[in-house]
Amino acid sequence: MTNRLKNIKPIAQKVGDVKNSIFITVIALLGITLLLDIFVVEKIFNPLTYLYIVLGILFVRYGIPLLYTSRRLIQYYWQRASRNKLAVGGLAFILFLILLALIGPLFTADPTAVNFEEKNLPPPGFTLEESVYDLKTGQFITNRITGTTQHPLGTDDKGRDLLAMIISGARVSLQVGLFATGIAIALGTLIGVTAAYLGGKMDNVLMRFTDIMMTFPFFLLLVFIVFIFGPNLALIVIVIGLTGWTGTARLIRSETLSLRTREFIMASKALGASDGRIILSHLIPNVISLIIVIATLSIPGVILAEAALSFIGLGDPTVASWGMILKAGQQNLDTTWWVAVAPGIMLFLTVLAFNFLGDGLRDAFDPRSNV
Amino acid sequence: MTETILRIRNLRTYFFTRRGTVKAVDGIDFDLLKSKCLCLVGESGCGKTVTALSILGLIDSPPGRIVGGEIYYNNLNLLECPPDQLRRIRGKEIAMVFQDAQSALNPVFTIGNQIVEQVKLHLGATTREAKEKALSLLEEVGIPTPEKVANYYPHQLSGGMRQRAMIAMSLSCDPQILIADEPTTAVDVTVKAQILDIFNQLKNTRQMSLLFITHDLGIVSEIGDRILVMYGGRVAEAATVSGLLNNPKHPYTASLIRCLPDITQVKDRLETIPGTVPSLIDPPGGCLFHPRCDKALAICREETPPPFIVAEGHTVFCHLYSHLER
Repeated sequence: MTNRLKNIKPIAQKVGDVKNSIFITVIALLGITLLLDIFVVEKIFNPLTYLYIVLGILFVRYGIPLLYTSRRLIQYYWQRASRNKLAVGGLAFILFLILLALIGPLFTADPTAVNFEEKNLPPPGFTLEESVYDLKTGQFITNRITGTTQHPLGTDDKGRDLLAMIISGARVSLQVGLFATGIAIALGTLIGVTAAYLGGKMDNVLMRFTDIMMTFPFFLLLVFIVFIFGPNLALIVIVIGLTGWTGTARLIRSETLSLRTREFIMASKALGASDGRIILSHLIPNVISLIIVIATLSIPGVILAEAALSFIGLGDPTVASWGMILKAGQQNLDTTWWVAVAPGIMLFLTVLAFNFLGDGLRDAFDPRSNV
Repeated sequence: MTETILRIRNLRTYFFTRRGTVKAVDGIDFDLLKSKCLCLVGESGCGKTVTALSILGLIDSPPGRIVGGEIYYNNLNLLECPPDQLRRIRGKEIAMVFQDAQSALNPVFTIGNQIVEQVKLHLGATTREAKEKALSLLEEVGIPTPEKVANYYPHQLSGGMRQRAMIAMSLSCDPQILIADEPTTAVDVTVKAQILDIFNQLKNTRQMSLLFITHDLGIVSEIGDRILVMYGGRVAEAATVSGLLNNPKHPYTASLIRCLPDITQVKDRLETIPGTVPSLIDPPGGCLFHPRCDKALAICREETPPPFIVAEGHTVFCHLYSHLER
């Protein structure tokens, strides 16, 4: 009988599972590329590309099977959410934005190409009257600049195409929004669920830590860090992510508190599930709807934070984010107004779209609301 | 004699609350034999479920704590087991079926998914093996279309089907002992009979030992081999099922049996036991049942009754039998 006990395997061994072996191979190959990149060859990929590849692989390995197994649920929620036309509009705009950010740069001019011949071009249909001192006649003459269809949104004071800048700015904003929110949500969920599930001392420690983090003036911290380490987009994203999880942690904790007393948690304990397993495969899937709503509603805040940072001149100068363009444009708002208006409208629409979608999802996920 | 698979000696589980110490289980002993069914019977709050959770080491601490006793699974004292080893025993060696399968199944996963995860976790099987195992388990508990049911979420099933799925899940790792905590309370009579059939079958085909918690003496007669009547966290009477039902010795057991509605007799009122279950924070002295007992003696107020053997394998904790051998 004691023999039987000795034969208990510690954790499920999933060797032989084809999907897993492919996954491991791909990750290993990526690791080798990374090592080659660091020690042998120069750049194969840049660091951000590695992040994309890893995220892509994780999505294919875990995201797609999950979406597939829960397709009926997704269908059900889509049915509920699609009754909210604003939410559908928001989703459409976000998808359009993602598409724009992904493939837009292939079709537009180089957003960094400076061309002083074509500076300050208004959008087509508008004209700009400019007083120029003519060297030949020694008089001021009025130049009328009309927009061309070559630059649908006009150009800025260095002759850069505004449409191209807006599109590359969309990429920046979405990157910041998604990655920073991803970090924040992951941290917040883990901390919230762990605190609620373990309870007692652990709960106290984690939640007081959350309180302390909450009282931190995060924008000031961001300004400090940018001041010390220099403006760098990745750094900004990480800092926003590492400071923005507190609200999520609290919400998730309160939701989990009621879940942990449910009988199925006790039942899975009775069937031998470990704490980590209960947290990862029983508690988190049950708060996933809340996570999705929080994530959707916190993306606009993050995008605005980055824009604000750029606007006060602490953004990454190497990337043309919307906040950057806005800052450049607001100095000449009386003449070349379109430079500031275009990114302003984009920010406005993006934030609105995410908020509408978030509200719609919240209603769809709430069993008490009958949308 | 059959092998004893679970031996409990003087188990005491107390809950330390702000209002005082609740002696939920206060010194119970029993043996569970291989491929036999032991029924724990008693009113609500008499410590049946706490006993079961104590065996699995699932008492919430704080406020609960097992303050004494021994729980031997084969020759392993579960109370001295490191948490990790205990966790591996749960589910794989000793599994539990809960009363309400609706809330004991995770609402966001399909039935099949939950069983597959369970099999993979404990037996280290591949997904395909685990899926086959899940289907055969569902078939074993009498689900007619396992392929279909495996793809259902818990809320899409009827109560009986859910309970079967729950049983299938607890069987997924071929446990030696199955603890069933009122598994038939939440289902209707016809389904109840089917579920009991499943348990009987499991006992016979799988040589599994059952610890069956119920308050329904009818079920006990269907499925039980031995019965343990609990009152206020203590054992009142322990006997074979036929011995106890035909010849109850403890006044409490006798009143319980009198309370059973009899379909052949027309009565205006059903029998009840006067009084209520004693508060376990501030229990009455002596025998816990004496305030409600119509045969109470003076000594019952003073002394906790020791066990008296009234027949072969039939012990009763009552001063009425003090003339008998301890």
